[in-house]
Amino acid sequence: MMFLEKGDLHFVLDVLAGLGKLYVPAESNGITRFVPYGGEKTQVWLQTNTAISPKEILFPATETLYRYETGRGKETVKPVADHHAPLILFGIRSCDLQAITCLDDVFLDGEFVDELYRERRETATIIALSCAKAGPHCFCQSMGLDPLAHRQSDLQMYDYDQYYGLEANSDRGRLLLETLEKHDLLSVSGRENPVPALEFALEVETEGITEKLTGMFEHPLWEEVASKCLNCGICTYLCPACHCFDISEKLDNAHCGSKIRCWDSCMFSGYTRMAGGHNPRPGKRERVRERFMHKLCYFPQRYGKYLCTGCGRCLAKCPVGLEITKIMELVKEVENDA
Amino acid sequence: MMKQLIAQMQEIARELLETGIVQTVIGWEKGSRWYLSPPVFVRKPEDAGRLWYDQFAVPNLSGYLLDYRNKNEKVAVFVKGCDSRSVVRLIQDNQVRKENIVAIGVPCAGMRDQSAVNDEKEPHELPLLSKCLQCRYPNPVYADRTVGEAVVDKSLNVPDDLDAGTGLMGGDLTGDGSYVSSGIVERLEGLSSDDRYDFWQKAFSKCLRCYACRNVCPACSCRECIMDSEHSLWVGKGSSPTENMFNALIRAYHVAGRCTTCGECERVCPVGIPLMALNQFLGQEVNKLLEAYDAGIDETLKPPLEMYGWPDFDGLFRCAKGVRA
Amino acid sequence: MPEVAAFSGQRLAGVDDVRRINPLVPVQAQITRAITETHDTKTLYVVGLDGKVPFSLNPGQVAMLSLLGVGEGMFSGVDAGDHLEFSIKKVGALTGALHEVEPGQIVGLRGPYGNGFPLEFCRGKNLLFVAGGIGLAPLRSLVRFCIKHRSDFGGIHLVYGARTPGDLAFKGEIAGEWVAVEDFAISLTVDQGDRDWQHHVGFVPNLLRELKPAPDNTVCLVCGPPAMIKNSIVVLEELGFAAEEVLTTLEMRMKCGIGQCGRCNIGSCYVCLDGPVFRLADLKRYSSEY
Ligand code: SF4
Ligand code: SF4
Ligand code: SF4
Ligand code: FES
Repeated sequence: MMFLEKGDLHFVLDVLAGLGKLYVPAESNGITRFVPYGGEKTQVWLQTNTAISPKEILFPATETLYRYETGRGKETVKPVADHHAPLILFGIRSCDLQAITCLDDVFLDGEFVDELYRERRETATIIALSCAKAGPHCFCQSMGLDPLAHRQSDLQMYDYDQYYGLEANSDRGRLLLETLEKHDLLSVSGRENPVPALEFALEVETEGITEKLTGMFEHPLWEEVASKCLNCGICTYLCPACHCFDISEKLDNAHCGSKIRCWDSCMFSGYTRMAGGHNPRPGKRERVRERFMHKLCYFPQRYGKYLCTGCGRCLAKCPVGLEITKIMELVKEVENDA
Repeated sequence: MMKQLIAQMQEIARELLETGIVQTVIGWEKGSRWYLSPPVFVRKPEDAGRLWYDQFAVPNLSGYLLDYRNKNEKVAVFVKGCDSRSVVRLIQDNQVRKENIVAIGVPCAGMRDQSAVNDEKEPHELPLLSKCLQCRYPNPVYADRTVGEAVVDKSLNVPDDLDAGTGLMGGDLTGDGSYVSSGIVERLEGLSSDDRYDFWQKAFSKCLRCYACRNVCPACSCRECIMDSEHSLWVGKGSSPTENMFNALIRAYHVAGRCTTCGECERVCPVGIPLMALNQFLGQEVNKLLEAYDAGIDETLKPPLEMYGWPDFDGLFRCAKGVRA
Repeated sequence: MPEVAAFSGQRLAGVDDVRRINPLVPVQAQITRAITETHDTKTLYVVGLDGKVPFSLNPGQVAMLSLLGVGEGMFSGVDAGDHLEFSIKKVGALTGALHEVEPGQIVGLRGPYGNGFPLEFCRGKNLLFVAGGIGLAPLRSLVRFCIKHRSDFGGIHLVYGARTPGDLAFKGEIAGEWVAVEDFAISLTVDQGDRDWQHHVGFVPNLLRELKPAPDNTVCLVCGPPAMIKNSIVVLEELGFAAEEVLTTLEMRMKCGIGQCGRCNIGSCYVCLDGPVFRLADLKRYSSEY
């Protein structure tokens, strides 16, 4: 393991910024999120996970798929290629990295590959950061994650008091370490302080939940919990793992425009409404059920992992306290043959 | 005192459900943290014990009445003073039928500012929300039943000896995004129009278009919002500065003169946009231009922007007048 | 910056790569014919800009048709060898605009998506087609396949209903070609007949109950409005059809067609990727989801 003095962090960030497009967690415009590193004026924020997840870097809220022109027999379609320098994501927490692996499953690992996502993802170097404390809404441990490290990172940073301990998990991570060494920023003589286990205010039991939910599609629970939901997009938009999107038009004028893709939410009425007006998920019960079933039952069935990583963002911001941890408890309480 | 009040609330709910006067009672319950009292829907008399009330029962429950507008179901809803104004609005707009709802007034000495919590485990003192500091209707203006000291009373009843809060509607965005207290509307009015434009551009640049503000709002009652209309050429689905601004302006104008200043939109906004500053500002403008009006106080008075009368102060309908003459 | 190059070591995709790989970008295709089937349904013939069929479609597979500036929609198609056919009912803005297109016009096309009908499973069996309204469109691809490979299948029975005689699609094809096919029974019904109507009157499920088709060695393929599917299923169960032998092809709101946008799921399956053909047995738990 290599060590970095915490006071030298900004030198490291400066070096990283020279290697690619560097994103860091920061406070910006009154909210914490990942922003392009802009030197000293960037208010780097490393306390807990950010309010807005880093999903937006790899899977932007809105992006153009292609531009087009029409009119008098002339029709052209111009795909958009997102040429950019390689990405470096600094300070990614275990929950958010796990969520990125969920996005990978969806966008990269199937029969069809999303090129726009692939291009960003494949050029991205992920520098993970261990959590020094669990936030009030965190429950990643319950979701089977280790808040101190995630193997899918290129470089893992451990938070040790005055030092960061650095460990490479990939070639790219090793290359980064070499580069930082060349800049004389690392030393081998740090202390690998034993990190006390994190204290989680929130704990849930997940065992067997996928199997149990398989039989709970028609359970009255959904009606009960859904009434208070506002069907807003907060939970799904803040979630680092929610991947649903919409494709729609953006007209510049009568003859040209672009096809855009933007985040969508299973909570919205239009999500499943068909052109003729039929909507298989007409109300709150169906939509709330879909959200939790997708996260805890369908996604695990399809991809072998939960689509919830315990980041706690939806808990923190849901205006009516519809908490996924509570849902998991309620599901657990349901009699097995009910 | 609070215990007694809660017992009374549970009693009324039980009675309403047992006698079948209503099928659902919408109230608050004890949340998963000491500072949370989220909404709860009680449908069985035996569940009435879940009802709870304290200084964290911030959510205005009257917006849920919109879920019942197409149903022939009777529903009871607990309302604080400010919430009761939303019920009046909904009745005025024919969104709910008076005979289908039972509004139960509860007394409110002001709600506490959850954003000031610094210990999630141990309860501690919190300042009042600043909307509560400015409260003019601590008592319900409309209620079928009341609990505790709540009196249906239209008098201006300003609570005193309350400590200042900074959360919900007391804030202003400074350049670096941190909140400082003091009247945001006045501060905005003091800015040049360019600066004001920049302020709002910056504020709405972080809008997620999650529509929580709209969905929670008891004045946002359109059956289909133009923002959801798939083939609207007015606004696209993506988030971009112009489209976020369009969304914001449509909403602000649409609730102008109808907004009861319950502050729910600002409370729910996940990115902390000071939405109430817009609403308060437009409310003031309506009052200045048309007539002094307090939305949701008197169900017999129409909102100023929903009617037209002589004199036509800005000549909007000059030609119509010509035709008439 | 040599450091950067060493560090990234990555190839950046160009525009052509994106076009080649990004499955969300359509290819351009051309309408060669537009046939009016009923007052609200048209069939469009589509070829690539080179005049050839842009890709082949197995019976039951779907493709995304688009009009620039209007929108995209998923339709089941028929692969007619030298062109693709899409039968489109006018229900919204896109389908309305597609009804206006004229031969020569350019449209966007991407696909093929989904799994078609399980041809191997159907081979050697009797086939009972149960269709309502435009629901015959997706089944038509299989009907035509069966006609082409007639000896591979047993007896065919089509039970087809619509609201009025004027709402029955593919009347020409049914009366002109299908009636002439060997061992191909056709039962037509409408909710409301007119003076010239000589077939059944009533809903499809009721007609099924009356006709009592035998379940032995028979695969049943159902498609139509959700209510028709659900009620027919009840009757089919009464008649002794096993849930494994009843197939249906579903229509959902779709955006990506490739299992990513999330909206077309039924349980853990995506209609666009794993469907649109499902065995009834797999849908049972989620009957309210379509
Ligand atoms: S669960 Fe909460 S955040 Fe999610 S849609 Fe419902 S009200 Fe909004
Ligand atoms: S469901 Fe909630 S807690 Fe789980 S990953 Fe998404 S936002 Fe985080
Ligand atoms: S609640 Fe806030 S983020 Fe959501 S749409 Fe409204 S203004 Fe935008
Ligand atoms: S259409 Fe996007 S997942 Fe099926």
